[in-house]
Amino acid sequence: MEGDNVYIPHVMKIEKVIQETGNIKTFHFNFKDQSQKDKFTFKSGQFAEYSIFGEGEATFCVSSSPTRMDHLEFSVMKAGKVTAAIHELQEGDEIGFRGPYGNWFPLDLLQGKNLVFVGGGIGLAPLRSLIWNVIDNRDSYGDVIVLYGARSPADLSFKYDLEAWDKGDAIDMYTTVDRGDDAWTGRVGLIPPVLEEIGPSAQDTVAITCGPPIMIKFTLQSLAKLGFTPEQIVTTLEMKMKCGIGKCGRCNIGNIYVCKDGPVFTYAQIQNFLSDEF
Amino acid sequence: MGNKKIKKDQLNTLFNELSKDCSVLVPTRSKGYIGFDLWDENNGDFIGWYKNTTIPLKANFFPKVEDMFRFNKGEGGYEIKEILPEEESQIIFGVRPCDARALKIIGTLFADTYKDPYFLKRRENAILIGLGCNEPCDTCFCASMGASPGESQDVDLLCTDMGDELLFETVSKKGEDLLSNMRGLSDSSDGDSSKAKELREAANNKIQRKIDTSNLKEKMRANFENREYWENVSMKCMSCGICTYVCPTCHCFDIHDENNKKDGLRVRNWDSCKFPLFTRMPMENPRHEKWRRVRQRYHHKFEYYDMNFGVIACTGCGRCIRECPVNVDVTQIITGIQSL
Repeated sequence: MEGDNVYIPHVMKIEKVIQETGNIKTFHFNFKDQSQKDKFTFKSGQFAEYSIFGEGEATFCVSSSPTRMDHLEFSVMKAGKVTAAIHELQEGDEIGFRGPYGNWFPLDLLQGKNLVFVGGGIGLAPLRSLIWNVIDNRDSYGDVIVLYGARSPADLSFKYDLEAWDKGDAIDMYTTVDRGDDAWTGRVGLIPPVLEEIGPSAQDTVAITCGPPIMIKFTLQSLAKLGFTPEQIVTTLEMKMKCGIGKCGRCNIGNIYVCKDGPVFTYAQIQNFLSDEF
Repeated sequence: MGNKKIKKDQLNTLFNELSKDCSVLVPTRSKGYIGFDLWDENNGDFIGWYKNTTIPLKANFFPKVEDMFRFNKGEGGYEIKEILPEEESQIIFGVRPCDARALKIIGTLFADTYKDPYFLKRRENAILIGLGCNEPCDTCFCASMGASPGESQDVDLLCTDMGDELLFETVSKKGEDLLSNMRGLSDSSDGDSSKAKELREAANNKIQRKIDTSNLKEKMRANFENREYWENVSMKCMSCGICTYVCPTCHCFDIHDENNKKDGLRVRNWDSCKFPLFTRMPMENPRHEKWRRVRQRYHHKFEYYDMNFGVIACTGCGRCIRECPVNVDVTQIITGIQSL
């Protein structure tokens, strides 16, 4: 990192690779330069640009919690050229990292409230940053529910988190799969009906949700049925990003640039967007 | 400090003098198009034929392709070497008011929140000498876009073509300093100034194309979901992207790596919202249909940019009209929206 050129990435070292599912991996990584690490801060919900030198950059949230700065984490679903190259990474390999960018989950709004986290598939990645953040400041929040779902037991990511949250008494943990298998003894069902069955009260509560668009669509309907207003629902959006800093021109929804104005929005804000292009 | 003037046949001598201290760029024809390139004695005759550059001035500050840094994998891992533009100061002569204004408009974005060192460094090191248009093209509509063919506040010095002579007027401090150091110029008279004023007024009156920007934001917003309109106006568009490449305010870019994992370059290049790949994600593409991309381009310029930066990102240079292979005309599109 020279000077203050925003496009120059930090060089980071991969410390651990976790195969989450068939096509999702989580990477623990750290600054090569300790002095840069000491200066670095971020907030839950922010993202960064990760590079595989020679292949290019891709955008992912920082999925670890700012309350646990021993190392940073990000999770990647293999989907294209850069993500395939990321999946090749081994412990000890180096990547580029610039960020953090974007806004973050509104801790001010969440403090003192009951929280309902609803995550689907890899959508738990940004939420888990906040969930660990909440757990580490548990006294600042009311009841906390986490509902996580995936298509099948093999598609559940972050099983170590799910287990830890289930065992601990900090949060009420619910896990569901769309379809079980022979070994699965847990809940079977789509996220929205399971959410309605759990039936959290909307009173003094904020729901934070992230997942595939179709899941979000029906989860919003279920939350509405449970009495949540658009102001009480927070989500984080994903759009094609490149620069991460509001200049390259692709991630806009109307005049809103997801990289700069987001990625975290309340549903009330999203309803006011000028465009349906997301 | 007063204004100055110079005989046109003395211009090459002036450029020669200026070239001793910094690079001087002038409108130059090469490889089939006109752009700003280094002056030499063979390309100093542009005043006779020059209307405007094919490639806008932005290309000198935000090039089509530019290296951002070099990475190199040695024994100790990756080393990164920033590649910044050279510190050399530049005089760019012959800048049209529309392009100077466009540079200011995109400069706002490049300086916003996260500073873009590549653009800003070049901008900092450049002195713009404008050249007002006495004979605007029939595609020009700058007069509708808060500009005027013969005037500019966005340059350092402004020249007016007075026939045998060029009048130099000071616009900025940077320009004033430069003018006081330029040799071979003579003082101009009040008569020169009033002649220049007449020429500007005449040029302004020659602009045929007009668009109405009053309440345009609101009008566009109200018609955002008018799919029929956007499908109609985008029907003939071939998604070739030339409008975005020749546009002095289009600034969308891509970042990619070249060479291999061991030793390579991170590179930035122009991209275009007219290309379907621009917003493609693995699972979806919010602007997969052509009419959505066309709508994005006009909304970005005439609505979103105005909302975010308080200025419309179009200066009426008319290049997109001139270069479009199927005659898509921005003035018709905007006029069409106003009449909805």
